[in-house]
Amino acid sequence: MNCRSEVLEVSVEGRQVDEAILALLHTILLHRSTGKFHYKKEGTYSIGTVGTQDIDCDFIDFTFVRVSSEELDRAIRKAVGEFKEALSNSGSDGMGQISLEFYQKKKSRWPFSDECIPWEVWSIKVNVVNLANEQERQICREKVGEKLGEKVINIVEVINRHEYLPKMPTQSEVDNVFDTSLKDVQPYLYKITYQITDSLGTSVSTTVRRLIKDTLAL
Amino acid sequence: MAHFDTEYQRLEASYNDSPPGEENLLVHVPEGSKSQWHHIENLDLFFQRIYNLHQKNGFTCMLLGEIFELVQLVFVVAFTVFLANCVDYDILFANKLVNHTDSAKVTLPDAFLPVDVCSARIRDNVFVIFILVISGVFWLHRLVKFIYNICCYWEIRSFYINALKLSMADLPYFTWQEVQARIVEIQKEHQICIHKKELTELDIYHRILRFKNYMVAMINKSLLPIRSRLPFLGDVVFYTRGLKYNFELIFFWGPSSLFENEWSLKTEYKRGGSRLELADRLSSRILWIGIANLLLCPVILIWQILYAFFSYTEVIKREPGSLGARCWSLYGRFYLRHFNELDHELMSRLSKGYKASSKYMNCFMSPLLTVVAKNVVFFAGSILAVLIALTIYDEDVLAVEHVLTSITLLGVCITVCRSFIPDKHLVFCPEQLLKVILAHIHYMPDHWQGNAHRYETRDEFAQLFQYKAVFILEELLSPVITPFILIFCLRRKSLEIIDFFRNFTVEVVGVGDTCSFAQMDVRQHGHPAWMSAGRTEASIYQQAEDGKTELSLMHFAITNPRWQPPRESTTFISQLKEKVQREAACGQQGVLHENHILTSTQSESEPHSLIANLLAGPPPLGSLHLGRDASVSNHAVDVGLMEGTSALRSFSPLSGSQHLRGSFASTRLPRGDGAGLVGGRAMAGSGADARTASSGSSAWEGQLNSMVLSEYASTEMSIHALYIHELHKQQSRGQLSRHTWHRRDSDESSEGAPDDNEGLRNFPRSNTFPCATTPHQEGAMLHNTGQRRYGGTTESVSGGLRSAPRLPRIPMGGWAEEAQAGRHHDPVPEEDELPPHIQKVT
Repeated sequence: MNCRSEVLEVSVEGRQVDEAILALLHTILLHRSTGKFHYKKEGTYSIGTVGTQDIDCDFIDFTFVRVSSEELDRAIRKAVGEFKEALSNSGSDGMGQISLEFYQKKKSRWPFSDECIPWEVWSIKVNVVNLANEQERQICREKVGEKLGEKVINIVEVINRHEYLPKMPTQSEVDNVFDTSLKDVQPYLYKITYQITDSLGTSVSTTVRRLIKDTLAL
Repeated sequence: MAHFDTEYQRLEASYNDSPPGEENLLVHVPEGSKSQWHHIENLDLFFQRIYNLHQKNGFTCMLLGEIFELVQLVFVVAFTVFLANCVDYDILFANKLVNHTDSAKVTLPDAFLPVDVCSARIRDNVFVIFILVISGVFWLHRLVKFIYNICCYWEIRSFYINALKLSMADLPYFTWQEVQARIVEIQKEHQICIHKKELTELDIYHRILRFKNYMVAMINKSLLPIRSRLPFLGDVVFYTRGLKYNFELIFFWGPSSLFENEWSLKTEYKRGGSRLELADRLSSRILWIGIANLLLCPVILIWQILYAFFSYTEVIKREPGSLGARCWSLYGRFYLRHFNELDHELMSRLSKGYKASSKYMNCFMSPLLTVVAKNVVFFAGSILAVLIALTIYDEDVLAVEHVLTSITLLGVCITVCRSFIPDKHLVFCPEQLLKVILAHIHYMPDHWQGNAHRYETRDEFAQLFQYKAVFILEELLSPVITPFILIFCLRRKSLEIIDFFRNFTVEVVGVGDTCSFAQMDVRQHGHPAWMSAGRTEASIYQQAEDGKTELSLMHFAITNPRWQPPRESTTFISQLKEKVQREAACGQQGVLHENHILTSTQSESEPHSLIANLLAGPPPLGSLHLGRDASVSNHAVDVGLMEGTSALRSFSPLSGSQHLRGSFASTRLPRGDGAGLVGGRAMAGSGADARTASSGSSAWEGQLNSMVLSEYASTEMSIHALYIHELHKQQSRGQLSRHTWHRRDSDESSEGAPDDNEGLRNFPRSNTFPCATTPHQEGAMLHNTGQRRYGGTTESVSGGLRSAPRLPRIPMGGWAEEAQAGRHHDPVPEEDELPPHIQKVT
């Protein structure tokens, strides 16, 4: 609970799903990534550079900026691809939610595994619409572009607020805050999860886990 | 080509490109790892654990307590099994002879069966095996929980030591308010909650008491089926720990409960759309839980019986009277609990009211029973006396069969009967006692007022304050009754419950979903009959009953002086305090002479009952200030309350702590009340307070100070609670019933009162004026010259003292009769006839 949560909603056509989501996720990650840290002996560090890159969408009239890191892009595309597939396989009315969760790890003593404590969650609710003809598609193309523009401004506003961010870690702890696996960029630790409307209720495993925890905490 | 001679020239200094990523780059210093306490995931649990550890006086105490509990469990089971299977009772009762060679003495080990026989008996008995398996599982569960808890609390312990800078040894001497202040302090540095820069006291309370607040609200709105009308027993309240556990299981944390996790209600329950469907689901869930209860009933029942047997038999043997003692029932604890009141606050409040409450219950002796009891005591006593005399003459009498038994039984019988015989030298005044009780418990139904002497009131009070024996009996019956309550009563309410959670849940940033009553917002949940008329916008459904919102708000503001309430609540609090203060100031003038009486009673009564006496009604509140002023050598007669208090401060040996409190909230005027009160008590010679002042600058002083402060706060709250009730009474009910009066009346009449005070003195105390005078700001609103009821003398005397004429308050109904009644009694009544401390006017 001790985390901020922001909800964004978009309704797009089927083929626009991945671009729209990518645009939003990349915008958030652009602001939540830093250059690689280079630690020095005295416990100080310097920050490497981050390149940016403009991406034009094919199915939307929209261009967004992303960190120019192929690795990061690949990771995100993979998650979004899975989501899109699940969405099209679900067969229902095409509602789904994909969330980008930033967390930090907390080392804990032996019997417990490391805790991942989220501090910010961005949920994007996606509503897929079906369009009848080419003209509507054209209109949709523009409208979704405008909407995405608004969302990007929203995101920037939220990120600009002076709110809690994990403190900059020392060398030994950098893995608890940042994802250091990429070689050209270093985003905060993040996790992408998605849900399709049918299974919006809590899954069985979480219920069971909660049950055990509750009995213990009695 | 022309040669220009300009200042522009090549920079000679060597410009060498530094290798990338080196010196010239910005260098940062990491700030992490200073604390591990930033950003805690589950703040609810975290705060609850902090609170628990504080209440259990530190880690070691808690560890020991839990270990002993585990050991106790093993002991209870093992000992029961041993008693049932391994003892040869024939030998114990000497029905069978032991063939000893050397001596005829029977020793205890003789009565034990040999190990192999014993284990064989156990093995053959399926029932015993069953119990053993059940308790084994239960014990293992407890053990795992214990280990888990220890790990968690170890973390909390290091939080106390490293972040709060409190060592475990000091912990018992810190009040919760101090611990809380430190938590608020470290939030600024560590940011344990990430939503806000600063944490307020209310946030912490909300998190610790999230579910308790819901329960209090549900009981306040009579949502839970714990009250029922039975054919022979009448109105019965049945609320046991087992039932409570089940309620919590259903609503808050059980499988597929209404709450998704500790801090948020599931989203579907927040929307009104599918309420019927959700209600269906809830009701079927309740059914299943009820059935599970029914199936587990034998196990729980056996456990309860064993547990009760081992925990209470020893007590009963030691002091048989303890079953006749009373305790606050579970229902009472919820009925009397404020929103946002922690356990220790509630318990200290109730404990303070305990004495008065048991005295009140003792007022009601059935004369019939008394006569019977007296005779039983006579007969039983005679037989006992003879037996004892015989025993003294020759010890062998004891060896005769059943003589020892009859002596014991007769003794018990006499003790029991004695409790039915009232003390000859006691005088009871139920009404006054009830006032004293109210000062501590803060809540009571309207119809009790003025009916304190009636059996109905007593019976209802007994629901809050039950016999310990009844409590144990209810706990024993609980496993059997609970499933039926769940299946037949609670299920019917499922739609109401769904609606309740939807309507009364608000999401607070940084706290999560809380019960909206717990926001203590007078505007949303105030009750017009409880001082929030004009402020409240609540519909009847939304109003909290019994003035719970208002009283809770007062209570929270007083216990947490540093809390900044929202604007409207602030105005409510300050207006109320102003009124109380003004009343006190007015009363001060009016009851000048009473000071002497008070001081005379002071000397003969212990300080605590003095306070109780003082609190018995608002007029003593006034007289209290007076008593204080007089003891400060009369120089504060017409000084305002604050000045009086500050004068007191300089005189009082308590000055140190007074100032401390002053620094807590120097702008809050009514602090004076509490300070004055305790000041008076200090005058009466309360040792603990004096010690505060006399002790040096040791660490102890701080502790004691804070304890004294919380004492002030509770007294202040008592005064406000009484005041609010008084006002409510006058507002909602025109008439007052006269109530019985005793001692102080005669004291007073014997005391020659100064004549010039006569008029004034009468006026605040006359119970024949049915209606209160309004505070001034409201007076202006209601102003109506026709209603001016006081004679010219009063006006002329009091004119200079009071800034505005006192006016009757318009009640909700019955205004006409009331005005009439007021006029009817216009001539100031004889003072001897007046019960002196009934109606203190508002």
